[in-house]
Amino acid sequence: MTTLSALFTILIFPAGLMLILIGMLYEWIDRKLVARLQNRIGPRWFQPFADIVKLFAKEQIRPGIANLLLFFGLPVMALSGALTAALYVPLMGFAPAHSFPGDLIVTIYLLSLLTMCIGLAGWNTASRFSLVGATRALTQMFAYEAPFLLALLGPALAAASWQVSEINTYAASHWMILTQPVGFIIALIGLMGKLELPPFDSPEAETEIVAGALTEYSGRGLAIFNLGKSVELIVGLTLIASFYLGGVAGILPFLIKTIVLLLVMAVLQSVLTRLRIDQTVGIWWRFGAILVLAQILVMIIWKGWLS
Amino acid sequence: MNTEQLLTQAEDLLATWSKESTHPDPMRLDVVISADDLRAATQDLHTARWGYLSAITGLDLGIEAGQLEVLYHFCSGPAITTLRVRQPRDGEAVVPSIADIIPPASFFERELQEMLGFTITGLNNNNRLFLPDDWPEGVYPMRAEFTKDQGAPVPGRHADEMPDEGLINGNTFVVPIGPQHPALKEPGHFEFTVDGEIVTGARMRLGYAHRGIEKAAEARNWNQNLYLFERVCGICSHTHAMAYSMGVEKLAQVEVPARAQAIRELVAGLERVHSHLLWLGVAAHEAGFDTLFMYSWRDRETVMNLLEQITGNRVNYSANVLGGVKCEIGPEQAKAVKEGLSYLEGRIRHYLEVVTTDVMFLNRTRGIGTITFDEAVKFGLLGPTARASGLVRDVRVEAPYGAYLMFPVSAVTETNGDLEARFVVRLKELLVSCATMNNLVDNLPEGPLSVRVPRKIPAGETISRMEAPRGELLYYIKSNGGESPARIHVRTPSLCNWVSVLEKAVGSQLADVPMLIAGMDPCFSCNDRMVTVARPGDRQTWSWEQLRQHGIEYYK
Repeated sequence: MTTLSALFTILIFPAGLMLILIGMLYEWIDRKLVARLQNRIGPRWFQPFADIVKLFAKEQIRPGIANLLLFFGLPVMALSGALTAALYVPLMGFAPAHSFPGDLIVTIYLLSLLTMCIGLAGWNTASRFSLVGATRALTQMFAYEAPFLLALLGPALAAASWQVSEINTYAASHWMILTQPVGFIIALIGLMGKLELPPFDSPEAETEIVAGALTEYSGRGLAIFNLGKSVELIVGLTLIASFYLGGVAGILPFLIKTIVLLLVMAVLQSVLTRLRIDQTVGIWWRFGAILVLAQILVMIIWKGWLS
Repeated sequence: MNTEQLLTQAEDLLATWSKESTHPDPMRLDVVISADDLRAATQDLHTARWGYLSAITGLDLGIEAGQLEVLYHFCSGPAITTLRVRQPRDGEAVVPSIADIIPPASFFERELQEMLGFTITGLNNNNRLFLPDDWPEGVYPMRAEFTKDQGAPVPGRHADEMPDEGLINGNTFVVPIGPQHPALKEPGHFEFTVDGEIVTGARMRLGYAHRGIEKAAEARNWNQNLYLFERVCGICSHTHAMAYSMGVEKLAQVEVPARAQAIRELVAGLERVHSHLLWLGVAAHEAGFDTLFMYSWRDRETVMNLLEQITGNRVNYSANVLGGVKCEIGPEQAKAVKEGLSYLEGRIRHYLEVVTTDVMFLNRTRGIGTITFDEAVKFGLLGPTARASGLVRDVRVEAPYGAYLMFPVSAVTETNGDLEARFVVRLKELLVSCATMNNLVDNLPEGPLSVRVPRKIPAGETISRMEAPRGELLYYIKSNGGESPARIHVRTPSLCNWVSVLEKAVGSQLADVPMLIAGMDPCFSCNDRMVTVARPGDRQTWSWEQLRQHGIEYYK
């Protein structure tokens, strides 16, 4: 029975199939919102699904220079990283499937796996566009990763726990968006950086470097990478909603809170111009990191003073 | 200085080198010089800052005459000075390069080299610019003896392929852009050498859409050519047709009715609005600001609909005929134009605010790709790109033609010369255009729409300059008195502006390169419109409105 339920957890819900479907649904919501904001009609609800089916049906072209194991392994690793991360977050408002003290760090690490895989994939396929894209993706990761981690650390400090489920419970009675607004903004923008959404889409700026690190990917490999991104979107939104927006306890609050976050992200995506990679790094270190550090410092002093 | 004084000044400057000088018409001065004196004469004009080199036209005077001729057109305001250099047809025709004195000349000279077989001494780049790689060696399409069999492709010839410096060479490698590339919806090829994110070298190759229109024109009669030249460009097709027909009318000494001239200006104005809004969208897209792209293209539909309502076409308007226009502006059209323009004026003001106040967008435009006034003069820039650097290069203002004498426009300039200034200049120019068009529609002169132009055009040659949305467009038209032209040479504004892109790309960030290319608004072909939707077993003709509805329903 335990094996069965473990398999169910990994393959169907919360990780696995269900998550992928929700990921595609959210991807559609994002695309539709951006399209409406840009005065376009946008795709129909099954478009992300159709895209994936189409990509799976297509030929996968492999560059001769690429290492086979890496070429086929990296997309799988990226997707499994994102799916594994989902086990530690309160997806759909249910308690995390797995939980142990310090699982926040593991989750954040697993979320970074996608970017690292994309960077490696770009380097492995060795096209000029993918090389520039990979360099940019990894450079950008160094820019947002630390502030993003610090932004999620804020609620952890407040809840005095590094366990996602405990922070979620603590958050149910504390709307930390009010007490830590800086952390909230940086976490949300950090997630956009992670997903390479505008304005942080210079690693895949189509007008300069075609599709960036994934230029040489086609068919299944590309489909799996895209799925990984959709899953990461869900996991990231869940983390931010549960930490900052008063926790997610139940399907309805989960849906409302994550979709509100998605709406904010869609607005930001449509009104902001793509940043150059040097500007991205500049903004994260000059403002992001310093602001979130200052906030954590204030929190530590505040807590020390109270106790 | 007026035209006469300008021409006298040029005559004095060139007196030392001149073998013969004539005034073919009050605006022009023709000076025959020898090839050896060309560089010295050019240097004199350049040092005295007499105008700018507008174009170099190569002529084959025919097998009987046994001579080739090169025409260097210098323009200053309305005055045109042409240096004429003759060389024998047989044997080697050699002219010295003037590209070190005037950088944009290198493009004109490479064209001359490929099309007429001149040897240009001192040209630093002899790679092919226009002709395909598999074009046979030693065959020159603009020569009189050329037949189309000679142009048969030579299999396996790839002599001018750009040197590929390998995938990775130390820290630098080459990023190729085009001819098929998502960044560039235009068939051009660029190779940027990058060191990390910094561009250290730039090269380009044109000619992927070279259709041999100039050669084709020689085989068609004057009337057919109007429709041919309209198809040089999908965006500024009206300006091309207008430049051609005004040139032919000048040769035929036909006076076009005032009403026709005014309608020509109106269509040209609407075309400018459509072209600049299209550019605004493309440039915003290059910067990664897709929302502005979508909105500006939505608003562009307003002006596209106006053009369709007036001329019946969305892309190649075909508004001109030799001797006038064929579309009338009735009360209904006048009302639609005024309504459309008042809506667009509001939108343009809004976009002007966006491009000058949106902080994120300014990050990508302010201080990027700055071209100073002196550089603009040196690179020989034209059109809005030049005006953004404070250099007034606007034929409508400098040498008003047609209805621009009746309904003048003022030149819009900015001084910063960066990408932001190029946005501001183009948008402000649209506001000026809108105001002029409003005035024009209210005060449209009465009269006939066209007059008759003879089938045979009297022998002679003329230069017709127009302000296209991208800058000065120059047509050189030569007639032998027959039913078809002896030679028509077209110099489009984009060709003059390339130098600035290549110069400015070096040292800039790779991320800024698409913006730099877009900043000068290179001309690319426009989309087509479908009226027949064919499905298996179902063939029917759809109206524009039905098609639109179908599209909306289909994507809902």
